[in-house]
Amino acid sequence: MRDRGNVRYAAPLLLMSLALFLSSCSAPAAPAAAVAPAAEATTTTATETITETTTTVTATTASTVTQATEQSSAAQAGALSGITVTSDEDVTIPRTHIGGEYKDVSSSDAVSFHPYLTTDAASSSYQGLVYSGSLLRLDEETLDYIPNMAESYAIAEDGLTFTFHLRQNMQWSDGQPLTAQDFKWTYDQATNPDNAFPYLSQLGFITSYEAIDDYTLQIKIGEIYAPALGQMSGLITPLPKHIWENLPWGDPEKNPEINSPSVVSGAYKLVEWKRDQYVTFAANENYWYKGSPNLASYTIEIVPDQDIEYQKLKSGEVDTGYIPPEKLEEARTLDNVSVYEWWPAAASWSYIGLNMRAGFVTNDINVRHGLAYAIDKQLLTDEVMLGQAKRLCSVFPETSWTYNPDVPCYDYDPDTAVAEFAKSGYTFSDGQMLDPEGNQVTLKLVYGPNTNKVRELIAVTVQDYLSQIGINVEVQALEWSSFLDAIQAEEPDWDMFIGGWSSTIEPHIMYTIWAEDSIPSLNSVAYINKDVEQLFQAGGATYDTAVRKEKYGEVQKLVAEDAPYIFLFYNKAWSGQNKRVQGIDPKPLGIGWNFEDWYVQE
Amino acid sequence: MVNSNWLMVSQVANYHLLFTIYHLPFIKTMTRYIIRRSLQSLLLLWIATLIGFSIYQAAPGGPLQFMDDDPRRNAEDLNRLNRLYGLDRTILVEYVSWSFGEDWLPATPFWQSGRCMNDVQNCSRGITRLDFGRSFYFQGESVISLIVERMPATFLLAFTSLVLSAVIGVPLGIISALTRGRWPDNLIRVSTVVINTVPDWWIGLLLLIILGGYLQVVPLSGMQDIGDGSFWDRVHHLLLPAVVSSIGGWIGFSRILRFEMLEVLNQDYVRTARAKGLSQITVIVRHVLRNAMLPFVTSFGSIFLLVLSGSVLFENVFSWPGMGRLAYTAINARDYPLMMALFVIGSFLGILGVLMVDILYSVVDPRVRYDRQRV
Repeated sequence: MRDRGNVRYAAPLLLMSLALFLSSCSAPAAPAAAVAPAAEATTTTATETITETTTTVTATTASTVTQATEQSSAAQAGALSGITVTSDEDVTIPRTHIGGEYKDVSSSDAVSFHPYLTTDAASSSYQGLVYSGSLLRLDEETLDYIPNMAESYAIAEDGLTFTFHLRQNMQWSDGQPLTAQDFKWTYDQATNPDNAFPYLSQLGFITSYEAIDDYTLQIKIGEIYAPALGQMSGLITPLPKHIWENLPWGDPEKNPEINSPSVVSGAYKLVEWKRDQYVTFAANENYWYKGSPNLASYTIEIVPDQDIEYQKLKSGEVDTGYIPPEKLEEARTLDNVSVYEWWPAAASWSYIGLNMRAGFVTNDINVRHGLAYAIDKQLLTDEVMLGQAKRLCSVFPETSWTYNPDVPCYDYDPDTAVAEFAKSGYTFSDGQMLDPEGNQVTLKLVYGPNTNKVRELIAVTVQDYLSQIGINVEVQALEWSSFLDAIQAEEPDWDMFIGGWSSTIEPHIMYTIWAEDSIPSLNSVAYINKDVEQLFQAGGATYDTAVRKEKYGEVQKLVAEDAPYIFLFYNKAWSGQNKRVQGIDPKPLGIGWNFEDWYVQE
Repeated sequence: MVNSNWLMVSQVANYHLLFTIYHLPFIKTMTRYIIRRSLQSLLLLWIATLIGFSIYQAAPGGPLQFMDDDPRRNAEDLNRLNRLYGLDRTILVEYVSWSFGEDWLPATPFWQSGRCMNDVQNCSRGITRLDFGRSFYFQGESVISLIVERMPATFLLAFTSLVLSAVIGVPLGIISALTRGRWPDNLIRVSTVVINTVPDWWIGLLLLIILGGYLQVVPLSGMQDIGDGSFWDRVHHLLLPAVVSSIGGWIGFSRILRFEMLEVLNQDYVRTARAKGLSQITVIVRHVLRNAMLPFVTSFGSIFLLVLSGSVLFENVFSWPGMGRLAYTAINARDYPLMMALFVIGSFLGILGVLMVDILYSVVDPRVRYDRQRV
């Protein structure tokens, strides 16, 4: 009857096993699960711009390691060589609204609590809650560096020696004092190459890191480097030496502190972590910064589907949650939710990269100008981004302290576009743009990930606009890794791609994108301009903000003129919070900067 | 008296002897059969791992791809990490290291990973020694512990959904068979097909938003309320996901039952029973179901294994912390050890399931058994 021949179903069986696997990993195509893998996975400079803004409230507190590198050197105004900065903040005054519970959601869970082995945003936010991170932090108004765990710092005349005096009242949650020895020990561990710190090279500029005594740290650098203050003060989050020194650094099987930190320095202590389900924290009374935070308990529930997150916010089951851009209108009218919006200083922005290599149509500067004029970027900003973004014309957005408004912006003008093409011998006739040999211009546009609706919309809109000036555009959507492979190829086959960057408050970090050395990895368009590189280097070699602003301003002008990118827009950030949560004050740093002072009022 | 007892004992002994002699060939062939099939399955499993390994390695990206678009990283960091994790070795060496371990390989960068060369305790021992390795994405956690952490959630959902499939599917099948050709039969057959064409996660999302978001009768996410976790709380959370994921089984169970019942209902012995005057219900229960259960039970086995894979879309919608989500995370992060372990376990369960069903079927159905002897 049903003869199950032995070998006959080996093949279908194999297929079944493969199918088992593939079925469990089919990429979500529905709007319900429109989160790009990029945002779900590990990069903190996620190029999926809209969805990353609200799920991690505390990612904006200055105490996280990755946040630390986005430092402002507007601070350098106070950090000219030979200066001392002392804080007059009284951190012993306790808070007054202690009590209450705060329920957060996140679409992805953290990897671990180890600050030197994780790079994803979720892990950073958990770590930021339990480990107090930085010697200095950013002032929410001026974006200067102000003392944080250090109560004062001094920079020597030569600009190469930095001395930090730590506050003397800081304690670990077990009552042990938090001293410079903890900083020094952690630095030594992090810089040990066998310990696999992914961003080890970021610490390369430090030549010496010593604890002069229990409350004084002295750090020396090799040469003047503008981001130095920010990076040295933020990259090292101290771990409790007295607990960790007897445990293996990187093995979560043998070091329970990695997944379950028992002794912490931050505002919260870990209570329970059920991986991929939820994590609960309780206030730490020994927190050095004004004692226990107001919100006594903080829970994060993992809800991967963003529509469900929004439902939970609406129903009041959680106090904050992701609001999809198309639901923003509705969210603003909800009874129980307040929507906070702000323009972040570290904005994420989108662009279209144009391949500048020889042999490509876009190698010609007139063609690039023509393309820039041919696309209505204002419409993209208004319609695709639903008003939650603003135009961007060059390397730094309006919210950056280096912003230079005096750069060419290529507003929509199809006639000028055609004229630019004409400068290089192209002719627009019979609805077709013809190159000097008489062939119709065809361009290939790639974007990724293929699940990103925003990029898809941008792609088809661009295709439409360019067809109006007779250019045929072929659009290809790629899965994230394939996309990265395509744009980072030594010999790529695309003319244009849609990309995004998360800008940093510290402008110098963006240098690598424009450098010849970074071709083809970060500088995917193969842009070569030695003047721009020299300006970046000059900007990075001084602490004088006026000089830096001038250099970076010039960079913006040159890059906008060369048009290796068609700059599109930078994003607004928003967050929905239940009305019972008080004390929220949006700033360019976000809303999480004073998270410890939030309180609930029923 | 003594004689009759002795007679009885000797009769029993005789019976046992005859039984063994009668079945000895069967036991011999079954054993040979089982051994042969098991060896074939092992071979199949090995081929599967080879194919899986190659496919994963061939796909673009790798465990360190998170650094690809990060302006803060540089080539030096990448090379250092590649060496540490042994990702710069040739694929063949990586496969050998994964399956047989790297501690016995020569201590050179060509053969061993950096962390193995640093400390011999960090060397992988290979899956043949049941060391599934450490996860890259989860920064060194043992792959097996990660999978085991997620298994209860997936099993719970799979098992409950299977039971519900049967509980709903079986009566539907019975009604279908009994009312064959009339409207209940047609309705059941059409509706099970129609519902099955709609993806389960979509129905799940719809019902979740209606029942959970607007009516608020079921929870919107998770296996339990935070801080709760009592039995009824878990049942409350399990309800909707289990019912929705059982939908796929309704069509299967109801069809099988209907087919078997119809076949058996026309057999002579059923008509005999009815002619004897037994009531409809007695006939069904005693004769029909007992015989219809046979193939049903064996299909149960294979359906169970399909459910175990855990659908990632479904688990996403219900925020269910199962193996499907783990697989999705692993694949996106190109976490090779975790991906391979899930693949091996999935293949193993699949192959084991079919093997078990095969053997069970051979044991239970004598007709198949004797055919096999010739094969």
